[in-house]
Amino acid sequence: MGGLQKKKYESGSATNYITRNKARKKLSLSLADFRRLCILKGIYPHEPKHKKKVNKGSTAPRTFYLLKDIRFLLHEPIVGKFREYKIFVRKLRKAYGKAEWGGVERLKENKPVYKLDHIIKERYPTFIDALRDVDDSLSMCFLFSTFARTGKCHVQTIQLCRRLSVEWMNYIISSRSLRKVFLSIKGIYYQAEVLGQTITWIIPYQFAHDHPTDVDYRVMATFTEFYTTLLGFVNFRLYQTLNLVYPPKLDGQGEISLKSEFEEDYALESESYTEKLSALSASLARMVPSAEEEETELDHFPTEGEDLEKMEVREKMEQEQIKQKKFFEGLKFFLNREVPRESLAFVIRCFGGEVSWDKSLCIGSTYDATDETITHHIVDRPSIDKQYINRYYIQPQWVYDSVNAKILLPVEEYFLGVTLPPHLSPFVEETEGDYVPPEKLKLMALQRGEKPQTEEDEEEEEEEEEEEEEDDDDEEDDQSEEEDEANLAEMEDKRSRGKSLSVKVTPGKAKAENRKRAAEEEKAEEKRLAIMMMKKREKYLYDKIMFGKKRNVREANKLAAKRKAHDDASKEDKKKKKKKC
Amino acid sequence: MAAARKHKRMAASQPGFLSFNSGLDGNSSDIKRRKRVNKNKKKNWNKYSDIQDVEEFLDDVRLQEKAAGGLIAEKPDASLFFVDTGEKDKETQPQTTVKKGKRSKPLRIDLILQPDSRIPAPKNVLAFQQPNAKKQRRMAEKAARLAAMGVLPRREKLLQLRRAAAASGLPVKETPVANNNPARAFYDLWSAGTPEMADPYYLEQTKQKLVKRPDRLNEKPSVLPAIEVVGPGGSYNPDFFSHQDLLREAHEVEVKKLKAEERLARQLAVKEDIATEESSFKEQVEGLIEEGDVEPEEPEGGSEDTVIGPTATQEKKTEKQRRKEKAQRIKELRRKAERQMIDKQQQLFQLRSIRANLKTQEQRTKQRQAQRKANQEAQKSMPRRLGRLKFQAPDLDVQLSHELAGSLRGLKPEGSILKDRFMSLQKRNLIEPRERAKFKRKYKVKYSEKRAFREIV
Repeated sequence: MGGLQKKKYESGSATNYITRNKARKKLSLSLADFRRLCILKGIYPHEPKHKKKVNKGSTAPRTFYLLKDIRFLLHEPIVGKFREYKIFVRKLRKAYGKAEWGGVERLKENKPVYKLDHIIKERYPTFIDALRDVDDSLSMCFLFSTFARTGKCHVQTIQLCRRLSVEWMNYIISSRSLRKVFLSIKGIYYQAEVLGQTITWIIPYQFAHDHPTDVDYRVMATFTEFYTTLLGFVNFRLYQTLNLVYPPKLDGQGEISLKSEFEEDYALESESYTEKLSALSASLARMVPSAEEEETELDHFPTEGEDLEKMEVREKMEQEQIKQKKFFEGLKFFLNREVPRESLAFVIRCFGGEVSWDKSLCIGSTYDATDETITHHIVDRPSIDKQYINRYYIQPQWVYDSVNAKILLPVEEYFLGVTLPPHLSPFVEETEGDYVPPEKLKLMALQRGEKPQTEEDEEEEEEEEEEEEEDDDDEEDDQSEEEDEANLAEMEDKRSRGKSLSVKVTPGKAKAENRKRAAEEEKAEEKRLAIMMMKKREKYLYDKIMFGKKRNVREANKLAAKRKAHDDASKEDKKKKKKKC
Repeated sequence: MAAARKHKRMAASQPGFLSFNSGLDGNSSDIKRRKRVNKNKKKNWNKYSDIQDVEEFLDDVRLQEKAAGGLIAEKPDASLFFVDTGEKDKETQPQTTVKKGKRSKPLRIDLILQPDSRIPAPKNVLAFQQPNAKKQRRMAEKAARLAAMGVLPRREKLLQLRRAAAASGLPVKETPVANNNPARAFYDLWSAGTPEMADPYYLEQTKQKLVKRPDRLNEKPSVLPAIEVVGPGGSYNPDFFSHQDLLREAHEVEVKKLKAEERLARQLAVKEDIATEESSFKEQVEGLIEEGDVEPEEPEGGSEDTVIGPTATQEKKTEKQRRKEKAQRIKELRRKAERQMIDKQQQLFQLRSIRANLKTQEQRTKQRQAQRKANQEAQKSMPRRLGRLKFQAPDLDVQLSHELAGSLRGLKPEGSILKDRFMSLQKRNLIEPRERAKFKRKYKVKYSEKRAFREIV
């Protein structure tokens, strides 16, 4: 027969993949450099479908890359830079060894550096692409900026991260784009909406660092290197869109108001400006000093009928949003020294509030604790000795909860020394039939504009009632359906057994027509008919869906009942304690 | 040289020539008897010709040149003589007013070493010779030619550029800045620059344009979001039930782990029936005691039987037998065909069941397809096996009920965000799972007590 015998592993998936070591040799880089290159260029290892084929019959676990990816890497200019750097290190070591200090100086002056600009342009061809991927870089920058300067990473990197994160926060403040805040046990989650993209990031609590040992710092530093470059360019562009000066400058008013005579106590002359920027208490300078903020108005197009209605609705929504964006406006906050200053200042300023703190706490305080116009004093200690009568003393959670609810919550539950209501996650979105904690229900009621009753117990009762009502409604629906079906079945049964239905004629009564009731009945009837007309398959699906819904409701009910029991128990406990007291 | 010598000789022959050592003239005049030698050899010329007088004359000329800077005969009289008019300057010169220091007067030894010859030392020609002079001359010529045509050399061009840049106020040379320099500048990276007009192939080959990034690389290896927000139970001040949910979740994880551990322990446990003395003895004697009873003959008998099986001496089939067999075969075939016919006819009546069968089959394939698709979708968010190690999900960060702080001030953060991020990168298949390199000692550590310590103990 014709043809040469086909050899194994000379075509197909075996030739599409390359092991990490081979790739490394092909690029003539060390493993560390190869890792760095892959991270910077966004080339990730790949798991082949048939490992044994790719591995030429061996089953040893290996890291594989696509051969085409590695070929693409060969064109990268920074590969050359890596090699140059290797040589630089060698020369430097030699010079040190020979104690040629002049040579060391000269070498250090000509240290080879590389740029990542072209890689960023290549990986994110448009600005929106970059913005979509900025979550990671934000989290990393905020994380690295909180590192102590202990040599785990470059001090310069820490400084750069700090600068970029401050720039980002300032942008979020001046664009008013913060949406959600969540204080978790890990750190603080923020979510903002920037140019239509939802961006989430996490910030660690201050002073919460123990350096874990099982993290590869070199890999993280490489990611950070890439992400800082990305975030820098994104920041620049964002500042441009708002007409802000980049690098950020405080505007004239802010600069004057922040000037204090004790600046030298906080920072060096060279650093005080950046410190002031990072205090977040003053607004930024704009390229074109515009007359306040131009409020964006939707374009009006002449439309008819439904569109007009929709437009109105949309307009309403827009206005509501604008209102929500500045619901702290006109309020003056003062932060006591035990609360997390940066986070609170950021959140308050994001919604238009004014904020200050003790002069000795940080640079950039704008007014004193003795200021009479302060409306809210944020304290996180059980009691405070000197209190002003014209301001609220509240715990910091009030600010975060208000932001998540997008309204000013009643302050009573957040007063000094009061047990706080739970801090709910704004990232949870309940679907229909899920269990909703009563606190959230209350919140939703507040958002709808309903006035809560003053006494707590009453409120709770009301909620419970509400809940029960809702549940009852559901149950009623179900019941009515079931009843209808049962009746029908009975009738049919009778008909089939049939023959003699007991027929009687009785004098008629004028039925009081309840139009509303009638309409409802009609609707129910229609629904029932529609269910009857369903195909078998659809019916099956429908039943399944209904069953799932019912199950959800049942579970929610169970949870609610549990909650009630729990609340009752805790209430009783309280009462007992009171009695004891 | 020859010309100079001739000139000097001519000078000597002139009537007015004065010789410095004229007194020697008389001594040289005694005549020796000339020796006869062959004059066809240069050696002999040097050896036997008498050049005493010439040498003397030349010495004299040299002396004159050294002392007076030329032949005295040729000097003008004014340079040789002066009119002595007595000492009248001596009185006018201030003798004692300026007392010169020791320094101003040169040392005698220096004076001795001073060259007193009036003839300048000959130039060292080699010292002034330029290497590659010819080449450079040619290059200079070429540059001049090009300059005449208006083409400047590179260095000149760069210089002019630099000057122009300096004049325009921009920094002369942008020193490369490190990536992590906190003061580094950023610019609008995504602004639409001037589109390249040149041939893309040319640009690519000259490395002015990078190779296009394949679109495949812009896909993310996992569909998981970059930041996974913890559930509502992870709040610092959680709702009771969501906190319980979180605790239950963590508990389930722990239970699963424990179960796996237990299973492993069970599998690795030593079996209960450990060999006792009795059993081991039994094992040792096994086969020894009953050996006498077993008959070793049986296999032989069996082998004989097997030999009998295939008969070598089979008789030939008779014609009748063959016929019968053939008829049988035909009959069988016919029967089969008939059966097939009947089956086919029967199938007409089975149509319903066949259709039902087909339907169930189809349904099953569809179900499987859906299942497979769902599996593939689920795979997209799963961590892949990328290296030696499998991804292991980190422990859930949980605070027990008594650990929860009532206020923000008392909050103790749980877990590390750095670790969280690192794990997220692994989970999203951006890097392969890794573990810290283990420390391996090359040699064994040898402990020895110090003597001082030993003395105490």
